[in-house]
Amino acid sequence: MSGTIGFEPKIVAFVCNWCTYLGADLAGTARLEYPANVRIIRLPCTGRIDTNLVVKALEIGADAVLVSGCHPGDCHYSAGNYHARRRWMLFRDLLEVVGFDTRRLHFTWISAAEGRKFQQVIMEITEQTRALGPYRPYETEPAQPGASAGTIHPPALARDFAGVRQELRAAARRLLEEGKVKVVIGYGASGPVFITRPEDSEHLEWNEGCLANLTVYLKRPEVRALGAAAVVVKGCDERALVVLEKESQIRREELQVIGVACEGLGQAKCAACDTHVPRFADQIISSTAAQGEAPADGRYADLERFLEKPREERLAYWTAEFDRCLKCYACRQVCPMCYCEKCLADKNRPQAIDSSPHRKGNFAWHLSRAIHLAGRCVGCDECTRACPAGIDLRLLNLALARAAETQFGYRAGMDPAVEPVVGVYSLQDKEEFIQ
Amino acid sequence: MSRIGVFVCWCGENIARTVDVDKVVQASRALPGVRVAEHYKYMCSDPGQALIRDKIVADKLDGVVVASCSPHMHLKTFRRAVANAGLNPYRMEVANVREHCSWVHHDKATATEKAIDLIRMSVAKVHYDHALQPIRVPVTRRALVIGGGVAGIQAALDIADSGYEVVLVERDPSIGGKMAGLSETFPTLDCSQCILTPRMVEAGQRPRIRLHTYSEVESVEGFIGNFEVTIRKKARYVDMVKCTGCGECMKICPLKRTPSEFDFGMGTRPAIYMPFPQAVPARPVVDKNVCAKIIRNGCGLCEKKCAPGAINWQDRDEMIQEKVGAIVVATGYKLYSIGREQKSAKITGYGEYGYGKYKDVIDGLQFERLVSASGPTNGEIKRPSDGKVPQTIVFIACVGSRDNAKGLAYCSKICCMYTAKHTMLYKHKVHSGEAHVFYMDIRAGGKGYDEFVRRAIEQDGAKYYRGRVSKITQEDGKLIVRGADTLAGVPVTVEADMVVLAAAMRPADGIEELAQKLNVGVDEFGFLLESHPKLRPVETNSAGVFICGACHAPKDIPESVAQASAAASKVAVTFAASELTREPEIAKINELTCAACFACVRTCPYHAVERAEIRARNGTLIKYTARVNEGLCMGCGTCVAVCPSKSADIEGFTEEQIYSMVEALA
Repeated sequence: MSGTIGFEPKIVAFVCNWCTYLGADLAGTARLEYPANVRIIRLPCTGRIDTNLVVKALEIGADAVLVSGCHPGDCHYSAGNYHARRRWMLFRDLLEVVGFDTRRLHFTWISAAEGRKFQQVIMEITEQTRALGPYRPYETEPAQPGASAGTIHPPALARDFAGVRQELRAAARRLLEEGKVKVVIGYGASGPVFITRPEDSEHLEWNEGCLANLTVYLKRPEVRALGAAAVVVKGCDERALVVLEKESQIRREELQVIGVACEGLGQAKCAACDTHVPRFADQIISSTAAQGEAPADGRYADLERFLEKPREERLAYWTAEFDRCLKCYACRQVCPMCYCEKCLADKNRPQAIDSSPHRKGNFAWHLSRAIHLAGRCVGCDECTRACPAGIDLRLLNLALARAAETQFGYRAGMDPAVEPVVGVYSLQDKEEFIQ
Repeated sequence: MSRIGVFVCWCGENIARTVDVDKVVQASRALPGVRVAEHYKYMCSDPGQALIRDKIVADKLDGVVVASCSPHMHLKTFRRAVANAGLNPYRMEVANVREHCSWVHHDKATATEKAIDLIRMSVAKVHYDHALQPIRVPVTRRALVIGGGVAGIQAALDIADSGYEVVLVERDPSIGGKMAGLSETFPTLDCSQCILTPRMVEAGQRPRIRLHTYSEVESVEGFIGNFEVTIRKKARYVDMVKCTGCGECMKICPLKRTPSEFDFGMGTRPAIYMPFPQAVPARPVVDKNVCAKIIRNGCGLCEKKCAPGAINWQDRDEMIQEKVGAIVVATGYKLYSIGREQKSAKITGYGEYGYGKYKDVIDGLQFERLVSASGPTNGEIKRPSDGKVPQTIVFIACVGSRDNAKGLAYCSKICCMYTAKHTMLYKHKVHSGEAHVFYMDIRAGGKGYDEFVRRAIEQDGAKYYRGRVSKITQEDGKLIVRGADTLAGVPVTVEADMVVLAAAMRPADGIEELAQKLNVGVDEFGFLLESHPKLRPVETNSAGVFICGACHAPKDIPESVAQASAAASKVAVTFAASELTREPEIAKINELTCAACFACVRTCPYHAVERAEIRARNGTLIKYTARVNEGLCMGCGTCVAVCPSKSADIEGFTEEQIYSMVEALA
């Protein structure tokens, strides 16, 4: 939209067919004038609006995005807008952390009778955006290297690695001898091992290098082909099992879970761990560890410290982080929750996420992954460890974990009986940003 | 590559005055895939539609964009026009350049630029439109009516008259509902049972109507045209075939003191009972909560007395399955329970009126039973406390209703009318009696209604005070009613022998559970939600489920009957063809890429997504997948947004389409 004089904001509006679109029609019938900067995209329901669409709008140069639908309780499809509301609550928290200007993102409920409200909302947004100027988040100067987010690594403590190792090997041997399982997935000397013969149990290890989340292998076809499995998990890994079962990816009764009560392996996540002892395992090795609790300054201390930075600094930080991304998708490969056979990032009709390692596509990938893991990421931090570019993914995961906990009281993988965060809504979902 | 035609309407000068249609057509010709672009003064007119059709044929177009008024106006018009030319009607998009452009902007340059952008988006969208066919779903042409009051009976009769079978489920032992217990109805003062019982008998006798009384709907599965309903037939302990309805069992039953539900506690009934003599079916039930035989294997006198041997102590609740294609909900109402104790946390009671404390303070339905000729006092109005005829009765309107403080903000609609009726019935029976009415407003909007109220005041001498009652106390056997007459500006105190409270109509007990079983919404007061308050008052957002009568909102008998017939006509529309056609713009799931996380199953507001298995021909399981039920899906697209792999997509608003629209704005 070429403005000849001055800056004309480009505003993209995603609206629902039954309320806001009709409200806009009513504004037309009543000849209520408003600036011509908005382009309306009609959708059946706000429930249809994916966060990737909003990101795509920003990518193509929208200076502001409006998302609008029926008032809560009035959704033409009874609950679509409740699901949408919950999604936006999480999305906004994510954008705050990443440093996007949430003043550019507007959410409203406009009914079919509110033609005047539609006019006023468009006028307000246009003027506000004009005053704010063009939005060019992807042209941010990346932060200089060394601008650390300040993650803290707790000291490694001396542990009885040998004792645990013995017990693990014995447990695996027993399971295989009794024919209870066909394969034991455990930690080996330099990576995961898949023990199919009792005598090979000697290959099982337990040491400070046992950081991998082995639950990621449970869905691999080559592993499933081996037959009934046993898997060695730490308390943090076990949370992934809870989520996987809720999502119908594993059947807990077909699995043998060998839990190891670990006292921490010197990772950043270990300082805030309150699941040192696996809670649902079939057997627990070394139960001398205490369950643990969140540190005095909270589970999300690192994130809260990060949020003290001004917004521009946050965006500069993430620009630098994402610029290093090669789109190797190691983070995806290592994550137990990323089990889709055809990942959205690999789709090119349409291409929601540009696959080349350029800034827009990198932002799109990480934002999309974070949102897909909202309420599902158990904080095993394997993605952070696996990333060859050293991107601070842990901070990004913390963003949505914190959103899920503060907004909805939910922590992924803690309680199998609790409904998940996404795909569920509550009439009590409270926000203050929807007009 | 597509062959798209763009047709820009002037809409007279509604569009053309502000949007430069020549420029728009020129710009459209340059868009990718566009073969033809034309403008015309009135695209929806016959010549306009002919222009579209001719171009489709001449230029072999495979997609059409019409830039005109809102799709809510003419989408169907243009779809038909396109279909008439042999092009699939779903390969057509409308760009709204009137309501969203020419009517709201005045600057020609920016309005034209915006119109071009809107068309650019629609061209990108139509490129990816699939050629869709309407979805055909088979129909079981049998209806379920839940509730056997006047509305349910009317609906059942109308549906049966249309030629379809009806299953009528009623949870009380007899059909008839509240109307069977009324004495005379306004504004005609027709005897309620006299006009209702012929209908009840018809409903019981029609071969097409299958009656399940003393039964409740246990569960509902399926979707429009294909519902599977489980009905619990509660144990009557009476064999319905052997029983002749002679009534000897009721006479001999020694337990005669159970408060009668039909009389709202004003009278009593035995443990084996028919709710009223004109019950349909005219067979008794045994109240298992008080019967001595059932509780402690005592008594058994009815069994000894029963000549045909119809008493069956082995009777148990029975579950039956019925297949139906449409459901009509007509579960009626109950009155707000006035006393201090309330079941819901959101509603509070009136302690100050003494209901439940003083025996002579009763509600409207209880008064109906006292006045009714077949009631516990044979139509003589007697005080429940001492059986004397009251010489002064105070009637209080708006008890519970129109009161935000009590939690029921709505007007109960019928109370003004039945209060006037009560004064008239009282005065007709007790000529010397005094009838005092405390009211807030008089709502008498129906045919003959205002005249009726006037008659109560002017002919029958009812005294009306515009004011509320603060408190009712008892002194020396009299009820002291303290109220106000705000028009005269004075407080009013009446020493009454009886007080009748016009309590608000509320939906019947169990409505919220039933609504969940049917996937129908309820409002904050529990009334069932209609699709659209003005244009679709008897449909719900659950396709194939219709509502009528007081379960929807407080209403009187004529409106209930009218709504019941309306619901029946909707059922007839549903059954009109042997197959239902539904709009095909619904969700579909790519079963190859679906990861079977079932987030869509959890999310869908209509429970329209199912878990399915894909098996090889020899039966081995290949994978699990989610699958959309084409009969249930309403096309909201919420499943698409929650699907991580985007295996779920929605026709008419696909991922490809929406992204192409956004990218068209780059």
